[in-house]
Amino acid sequence: MGLLSTGIVIRNQEIRPDYSLLEIHCPPIATGIKPGQFIMLKVSNDGHPFLRRPFSVYKRYPDDHPRRTKKGRLSILYKIVGKGTRKMAALEKGQGVEMVGPLGNGFTLPPDPPSTNIVLVGGGLGIVSLYPLAEALSAGRLFVFIGGKTRNDILCSADFERLNSNIFISTEDGSLGFKGRVVDLFSFHKKRFKKSQVNYLYACGPMGMLKDLARTLRSEPFVNQGSLESRMGCGFGACWGCAVKTKDPKTPYQRVCKEGPVFGLEDIDWEQCQV
Amino acid sequence: MQAPDLSVRIGRLTLKNPVIVASGTFGFGQEFEDFLDPSRLGAIITKGISLNPMAGNPPPRIFETEGGIINSIGLQNPGLQDFVKDKLPYYRKVKSHLVVNFFGNTSEEYVLLAGRLDEIPGISALEMNISCPNIKREGIIFGSNPRMAYRLVRRVRKATGLTLLVKLSPNVTDIASMAKAVEEGGADGVSLVNTFRAMAVNIHSKKPELGNIVGGLSGPAIKPIALRMVWEASQAVKIPVIGMGGIMKAEDAIEFILVGASAVQIGSANLVNPTTAVEVIDGIEKYLGNHRIGRVAQLVGLFRPGL
Repeated sequence: MGLLSTGIVIRNQEIRPDYSLLEIHCPPIATGIKPGQFIMLKVSNDGHPFLRRPFSVYKRYPDDHPRRTKKGRLSILYKIVGKGTRKMAALEKGQGVEMVGPLGNGFTLPPDPPSTNIVLVGGGLGIVSLYPLAEALSAGRLFVFIGGKTRNDILCSADFERLNSNIFISTEDGSLGFKGRVVDLFSFHKKRFKKSQVNYLYACGPMGMLKDLARTLRSEPFVNQGSLESRMGCGFGACWGCAVKTKDPKTPYQRVCKEGPVFGLEDIDWEQCQV
Repeated sequence: MQAPDLSVRIGRLTLKNPVIVASGTFGFGQEFEDFLDPSRLGAIITKGISLNPMAGNPPPRIFETEGGIINSIGLQNPGLQDFVKDKLPYYRKVKSHLVVNFFGNTSEEYVLLAGRLDEIPGISALEMNISCPNIKREGIIFGSNPRMAYRLVRRVRKATGLTLLVKLSPNVTDIASMAKAVEEGGADGVSLVNTFRAMAVNIHSKKPELGNIVGGLSGPAIKPIALRMVWEASQAVKIPVIGMGGIMKAEDAIEFILVGASAVQIGSANLVNPTTAVEVIDGIEKYLGNHRIGRVAQLVGLFRPGL
């Protein structure tokens, strides 16, 4: 029924060392998914690995998309890190891929005053899930902070250039842009954003990055939303395996897959999170 | 040929088929309404309920292994009161039997909960969890000591007239004596197995992969051991045995039925393939047709250990 679908692999190729792009034809998800939502993908039909893997969608071409040949397709940008993604890299054109989704609560878009500043902070693959959000924005000035370990890990910068955004890049080894972490780079620039302005910030990346960002944002004039990563069992709220500690006294552990993956960074109990 | 009769009797209940979804893997039902028609299921078991809300264990709570998962959710649940207020109304719309899984930290809590649940309309049966490896207090002792289990079940039995199942831990040396003990205590059926105590270590950080260090292993990795335990328990008791442990498809379920399970539970498979339970029902029906067996009840215990 509703959330189950099988897509067909259109292409699956390495785009740079360790990173691949999987394009799938799957109209229900390509049309229905919203920025910040995710899918659970079965990377193999032989039972190994046992669980599905959560992915955010990079580009999507809904049924009403003007590029006729692309209609109904979506792509996933992934890094080959473990046994799941290694199997995923072996998927071939024409193969069927089982997916569950769209899942979770996505980002809430900012209201539309043209004077709004919209800041995106992405660490590693996290920037990929911010791209559909940037595409969906209709107004505001866009500032994009992209961080990675090396220049090979800086993703999507050309995409954001096409969206007319101000791009700031950091690498931990200094091979591209600012040498250091993306949160430090953002901290360096944050005085640009005044209390008198309307400032929205969206972030996605490793938990350590989000924790640092949450600290940096204390008493800063931003409405923020962060998309969290967690190991997931089911992805649709049944197992409670992906829970994260929040400051909610009634239900301290909430599901990244269901109540999230997007949370206000100040609502997470970072002291109790393993990063 | 007439469609095979899939119905089975457990205690005072007649299930329309022997396929039940296991506690903790089917949320509070509603999470699956996009995937299958819950009214097709033999029964639905809730996530475990305690008297008071439980926050659960610190993350990470789940770790994937070869052919399975280790979890340490820690029995997170909203407690009896919020369960009745927020979760129970959904189940009332479902045309299947509702089994409430429950546990206490003390015998008194078990008895109190059973008594309260007994008074709530819409509940067909109770499944007493004396086996969760994720709580440290008395629970684990009830689950591994036949005398303690017998005494506890006897007290709970007096507190409720509902069909009473007891869910056993596999973390014992002699599963048959545990099954016998709960039968003597007055249980109408025995469910097994719960998860196997397990752990995993990250060799880079040298830390445990689970926040709770130890969790419970489930999934196809445990199936051969679970099957052996269900076989042993079935030979020891007359009450129905409900078998589970790594069932992913109809063939797995049929193995459990052959060694003596009157019904089966689908657990971890729900998380990976949320439609597994209905596929298992269809597969059992097809098998019975192919083998010209009229009723699934005739298949129970047909295992032929002799050569």
